[in-house]
Amino acid sequence: MKRVSISFFSCAMLLIGAVQPARGSDEKVYDILENYCFDCHDEASKKGGLDLMAFVEKGHREGSLIFENLVTGKMPPADKKQPTQEERVIVLEWLANRQEGKEPDSFRRISRHEFVSSLNDLLGIDLDLGDEIPEDRGTNNFDSSRKIKLTREMLGAYFSVADRMLNHAFPAGGFPIERQWITNKVRDSHESYRIYHRPYEGGTLFSWTRANNGNSYSFFYDGFDPPVAGWYELTFDAAKVAEFQDGMSLQVHAGKYYYADDRPQPQRLVGVISLGNRDLESRTIRVFLKPGENISVHCYSRHNFRERNPNRGIYIKQLKVRGPLVDSWPPASYSQVFAGLPLKADSRVNGKTERFQTNLQKIGGSVMVSSSQEGMEKEKLQDGSSLTFWHTRFSPEVAKPPHYVIFENPNGAVIEGLSFATWQGGNGNGLVKAYEIYFSNDGKTWGDKVMDGGLDVRLANEQPIVFPQETTSRFIKFLVTDAVSLDGKSIASIGRLDVVASLVDEAGTSVVRVEANSPEVLKSVLRDFAERAFSSKLGEEDLKPYFDVGLQELAKHGDFVMAAKVGLKAMVCSPRFLMAPGEHANDSFAKAADLARALWLSVPDSELLAVASSDGLHGDTLRHQIHRMLDDKRSGRMIRSFSDQWLNLRGLNKVTPSLKLYPLYDDLLDHYLPLETRAYLQHLVRGNLSARTLIDSDFSFLNQRLARHYGVEDVIGQELKKVVFPEGSPRGGLLTMGSVLKVTTDGFNTSPILRGAWISKNIVGTPLSPPPESVSAIEPEHGNAKTLKEQIEQHKNNKTCFACHKAIDPYGFALENFDAIGEWREQYKIKQAHRSTFTYRPQGYFKTGGRVDASGEIGSEKFTDIFGLKKVLLAEERQIAYHFAKTFFEYANGCEPTLTRRLHLWNFLGEDPANLRLKNLITEVLVESLNEAKK
Amino acid sequence: MSHYRRREFLKFGAALPLAMQSLSLRGETGAKEKNPPKRVIFICNSLGFYAPNFFPSKRDDFESSTYLKEIAVREKMTVFQNLFHPGMETSNHDSEKSFLTGVPRPEASQFVNSISLDQVLAEKIGRGTRFPSLSFSIYDRGWGCSWNSRGVAIPPMSDERKIFDRLFGEEDLTARRRQIENDRQVVKSLYRDMERIQKQGGDLTKIESYRAVIGELEAQLKHQEFWLKTKKPEVPDTLSNDQEFAFSAKVRNLLELSKLAFQTDSTRVITLSLDWIYGAITVPGATGGWHTLSHHGGKADALAKLSRIELDIVRNLNRFLSDLDGIKEGKGTLLDHTTVMIGSNFGDSSNHICKNLPTIVAGGGYRHRGHSVLEKPTPLCNLFLDLLHAHDMDQESFGSSEESLGLLS
Repeated sequence: MKRVSISFFSCAMLLIGAVQPARGSDEKVYDILENYCFDCHDEASKKGGLDLMAFVEKGHREGSLIFENLVTGKMPPADKKQPTQEERVIVLEWLANRQEGKEPDSFRRISRHEFVSSLNDLLGIDLDLGDEIPEDRGTNNFDSSRKIKLTREMLGAYFSVADRMLNHAFPAGGFPIERQWITNKVRDSHESYRIYHRPYEGGTLFSWTRANNGNSYSFFYDGFDPPVAGWYELTFDAAKVAEFQDGMSLQVHAGKYYYADDRPQPQRLVGVISLGNRDLESRTIRVFLKPGENISVHCYSRHNFRERNPNRGIYIKQLKVRGPLVDSWPPASYSQVFAGLPLKADSRVNGKTERFQTNLQKIGGSVMVSSSQEGMEKEKLQDGSSLTFWHTRFSPEVAKPPHYVIFENPNGAVIEGLSFATWQGGNGNGLVKAYEIYFSNDGKTWGDKVMDGGLDVRLANEQPIVFPQETTSRFIKFLVTDAVSLDGKSIASIGRLDVVASLVDEAGTSVVRVEANSPEVLKSVLRDFAERAFSSKLGEEDLKPYFDVGLQELAKHGDFVMAAKVGLKAMVCSPRFLMAPGEHANDSFAKAADLARALWLSVPDSELLAVASSDGLHGDTLRHQIHRMLDDKRSGRMIRSFSDQWLNLRGLNKVTPSLKLYPLYDDLLDHYLPLETRAYLQHLVRGNLSARTLIDSDFSFLNQRLARHYGVEDVIGQELKKVVFPEGSPRGGLLTMGSVLKVTTDGFNTSPILRGAWISKNIVGTPLSPPPESVSAIEPEHGNAKTLKEQIEQHKNNKTCFACHKAIDPYGFALENFDAIGEWREQYKIKQAHRSTFTYRPQGYFKTGGRVDASGEIGSEKFTDIFGLKKVLLAEERQIAYHFAKTFFEYANGCEPTLTRRLHLWNFLGEDPANLRLKNLITEVLVESLNEAKK
Repeated sequence: MSHYRRREFLKFGAALPLAMQSLSLRGETGAKEKNPPKRVIFICNSLGFYAPNFFPSKRDDFESSTYLKEIAVREKMTVFQNLFHPGMETSNHDSEKSFLTGVPRPEASQFVNSISLDQVLAEKIGRGTRFPSLSFSIYDRGWGCSWNSRGVAIPPMSDERKIFDRLFGEEDLTARRRQIENDRQVVKSLYRDMERIQKQGGDLTKIESYRAVIGELEAQLKHQEFWLKTKKPEVPDTLSNDQEFAFSAKVRNLLELSKLAFQTDSTRVITLSLDWIYGAITVPGATGGWHTLSHHGGKADALAKLSRIELDIVRNLNRFLSDLDGIKEGKGTLLDHTTVMIGSNFGDSSNHICKNLPTIVAGGGYRHRGHSVLEKPTPLCNLFLDLLHAHDMDQESFGSSEESLGLLS
C-alpha cells in the first residue's frame, strides 16, 4: 500500500513529469487544503489519524493514501464542500511530484514460473518443474516483486532444473522407445470397497464410492507401470451403463497403489472423461506420469453412490496406454534449437503391445507346487489377484505335507525376495502362518535353510519376504511350516506369490543425431538461441563466454549436442536471463522481453523478435502486438498466474472443507473451481469486455459439476462451456464464484470480515490506513447468525475499528448467502457429532440453524443481499477498473505504479467508456509501463 | 504385481509387521568424533503461545503451566520470561523475519534484514557436515527464520518426502560428479559473462547482487563435491502418513527429520517455522483456523480451541526432546549436545504484541535453571549472544544485544 516505485523500463517519462513544481505551488496547495481539508485533518481534529498540516509542513513524501482518497473522490466526503476538478488535479500532481525520488530497486529476478515456461518455449518441450524450485514469493503480492532477491538456493535450483529440462529435450542416451500397454486388470482392493465393482463383459463395471475418510476412492489398474517420467496417452474403452440423463465422470488419478488401508491417501487427479453415451467409446487423455505412479479410476455420478455388485455405473472394457510420447519426430526440441542442421533419427515405435505379466513371467520363470485342489491350481498364484488362490489338495483325499511352492528361474535372473499375499475373502482355512526358504541349482538337492519367517494372516496387503542376499539360484522353494487349519487337517492356501527381481527394461531408446561437429556451427546454434533467450542481438565478444564453455566441451568430448547443452545452460543461468531488465540491443528488444514476460511468462516469439530487430515496437504496432499476444494461447499462463495471485487462488487447495458440513465437496469441484475463474477472465480479456463484468454478468464457464454446485440445470458433461445463468441467479462475476467464496473461508465457517477484506483489497481497492497495531479478531460462531452480526456490530462501538471496518465488513455481509464452499444457503448449518472415527456419508453430519441476514450498508448505500451489493459496486465501475489497472501494473512490473502513473491511468479511464474494457485497459497499462507517451 | 526394490523394502520395513532387521542407528548417533559435536535447532512457533498457558503461574513449578507440564525432560530445560526484541514491541506477522536477527521494524516497507543467528552459527559449527544448515517450514512460504549474510531469506523446505530424499536418498554418484563438474564449467563462464556485462555498462547493483549469489553457489559446489566421497546415511522411513491429523503429522515429521539429521550428523544447524494461515486444521480435540484462533480476543471458546492446537504442538515438541534424550552419545545423550531453542516472535499474538516472548532453551548440556524470570525486559539478543559464546564464538554483540548475561553456562 505504501510502497512507491518507478517502473524499470526507463525514467524518461518520469523526468518529464517530475519537473520541479513552480515556486509557490506549495502555497497554492496549502490554500486548497485549507479550503477543503483542514477542517477535519488538522492538528486538532486529525480525523482518521491524518494531520494534513503536518504532512505539508514536515515535508513527508509518502502521500499515496491521500492521493487514493482524492483521486477516487472518496475525499472530501460527499456531504462536504467539493474542490473543483482543477484544484483536485493541482493537489494530485503536487502529491505525485513530491513522491518522486524514492527509488525502487531497478531490477528484478525472474520468477520460477517464468523460468520454467521460458525454457519450455525455448526448447520446444512441455515439462512442469515449477514445484522443483523453492517458492520465494513469501508475503509479497506478486512473484514479480522487486523486493525478492535471488538466492543461492534459487540459483542452485535453476542450475539443476535447467539440466533436467535440457536432458528432457536432448536426452543423452536417446528417447525411450514409445510402447503400448493394454490391460483390463484391476488390482485387488480392500474388501470394504471391492464390492463396488464387478467383472462385466470382459471388463469391469464400477459404481461410485468414496473412502471412509472422504477421499475419492480409486481402483487401480495393473499391467502398466510408467518406465520413465514422461507424457502418456491413456485410452479408455468405456461406456455409461445407466438410464439417468446426467453424464458420468471417469476421474483418472495417478498415485501409489494402496491396498490395506481403508482410509486411503488422496490421489493426483490427472484427467476427467465425461461419458454421456451408453455406447462403448474410446476416450483418450494425455497425462504426465512418473515411475512409481499407477493409474487409478474413480467413477463418479451422484446417482449411484455405493451400489454393491453394481448394475449401473461406468463400464471400462480396457485401458490402453501409449508412451512415452514425443509430439513430433524428430522432436521439436531438435528442429527448434538445431534449426537448419541435418538430423538423423532412429525409428520411434516398437509396435509391441505389452499385457499384464507377473515378475516370474517377465524373467521367463515357472512355478511348481506340492499338490493342488481342482479349480485352485498353481496358476492362481500368478494371476495378479488374491481373491483367487492356490490350495493344497483336500479332495478326494487330503495331500500330505510338506506343502511347498517352487519357482524355477531358468535364466538366472537376480532375485531379491518374494512377495506374498494371503488368500482374501475365504473362511481362513489354509492361510500360511510360517515359512522357510531354500535354494537349489538343480531342483533336487536343496542347501541349508536360507531363512524363515512368519506371515500375518490378517494382513491383506502384499507381504514382502527379503532374502538375506539376492540370488541367481535356478530353484527357490517356499516351504509352508505352519498354516491355519479349522479342522486340524494339514493344508495350505496362498492368494498370490511372486518373485521380486531387478528387471531390466529392455525397450531401448531411439536416438536423434545432429549431423554437425564444427565449432562454427556450434557458435551459430548458440548465437540463435541467445537472440531468443535474451531478446537481443549480442556481439561476438558478449557471446564469447557461452561459446567458450561450449567449444571447450566440444573439444574435450566431441559430442556436438552435449557441447550445445552446456552453452545453453550457461545462457539460461546467466544474469542476462535471470535478472530483468537485461541489456538489450535496442528499446524494442527491451519492450519485447518485458511484454513476453508479462503476458506469456516467457520469451518473445519470432514475430516479436522480427519487429524488435528493426526497432519497430512503438505506437500502433506495439498495441497490435499486445493484442496479438493476448489472443495467443500462451497468454493463458498470464491469466493463470495473475488470477492465482491477485485473487489468492494459490491457497485454494490448502483449504480443506469440512465433510461433515459439506459432504458433497470433492476433488472434482476443487479441480474445476479455479478453471472456471481462469476461463472467465480469459474470456473477458480476449473479448475485451467491460470492467463491470468483473462484478456481474449473466454467464460463466461451467460443466455438469459446477452447474450442480450453482444450482443450474441441464448442463451435461464435464467440459467447461459458456453457460448463461437462469433469470434470478445470484451468480455472475468474480465475487460469486465458488473459487473466491471458498478461498475466503477456513473451510468450515464463513467470516464476513475476511470476505469483506478480500473484496476491499482485491476488487474495490478501498484506500485504508493500516490496521491499528493492537487488534483482536472475531471468530465466527455459526448457526447463530445474530451473535456473529452482534459481534461485528461491536466494531461500531469501537471508533478505531469502525473507521475502517464500516468500509470492509459490509461487503462480506452480502456474501453470507454463500457457504464455505460457495453454495447458496438461506440458513446456516450446525455441525453435529459423529460416533467414534469419522466415516464419510453423503448426507453429512449437520442440522440447519438460524437464517442468513445478508444486508448491509456501504457508504450511504443500503443493500439487502448480493444483488444489491453488485449494484453498489457497478456504480463504481471506474474505481473497479482503476484498481484492476493498478493491480495489473504491479503484477507486470513488480512494483506499484507511481502516483504520476496512477493519475494518468485514472484520467485514461475517464476519457472514453471503451477505456473501461479490459483488453484496452491491460494494453494501456503495458504501454504506460513501457513508457510510451500517450497519444 | 508391484515390484519392490531392495531399498524400498528397507524403507517400508518399519511400517510392516514383518519388521525388518533392527537398524544399526537406533539408540546412538552417527557422529564419529570423540567429543560429540554441538548442534542447534531454533523452533519458531510463529503464531505464539497463549502466555497464561505457557509460563508457569507458580515460580519454578512446571506443573503450574498447562503446556510445560507436558514436557518430560524438565531438568534439561530453562524457561525464560521477560525477553523481547527492542524496537519490535508491537509488530505484525513480519516480526518472524526478525526472530533470529533482532533487526527492528520488520513490518516497515523499507525493512532490510540481516544475517540470522542460525547462519552465524552455521559458519562456525555447520561446515563439517553435509548440510551446513537446514531450514524447514510447514508449507511452501518463501521465508522462514533463516536469513543469509546479505539479509535475504533462505527459502525453507516443507515437503517432508523431498527433505527425506535430500538427506538420505540414494544418488547416482557418477552422475552427480559429472553434474558438479558441468556446473563448475558453467559457473566459470558466468564469471566471464559478468565481466563482459559490466564492461558494456550493465547495471552495477544487478551485477554485484548476482556475483554474490554465484560466489555462494560456487562454494556450495565445492562443499557438495567433497561430500560425494561419503555415502549418505541409511535410515528407516519413520515418517507418519496420518490423514486424520495431517497437520500434527506434518509437525511431527519435520521434527523427526530434524532428529534423524542430527542423529546421522548430516547437519548441526536447523531452523523450523510453525504456523498455518489457510483453512482450518484438525488436532485431537479441536478444529479451527490456527491463525484466526490466535486472535482469540480473550474469548473462552476460541481459547479452548487454540489451546488444543498449541498443546498438540507442545506434545510434538516433547516427543522430539524425549527422542533426542533417548539417543546415547558419548557420555550423555544427543539432547545434551543439542541446543533446542523453542520460541516465538509473538508474546501475545492476539494483539500482535511482541513483549515477553515465550522462550525455552532445552538440552545443550547447560546448567539449566528451570524457570528464569528476568527482572526487567531484556533483549532476546542477549540470550543469543550467550548462545554464540557457548559455541566458542567471541562476538561482542549480536543484533540488539546489550550485554552477555551468562544465562547459558
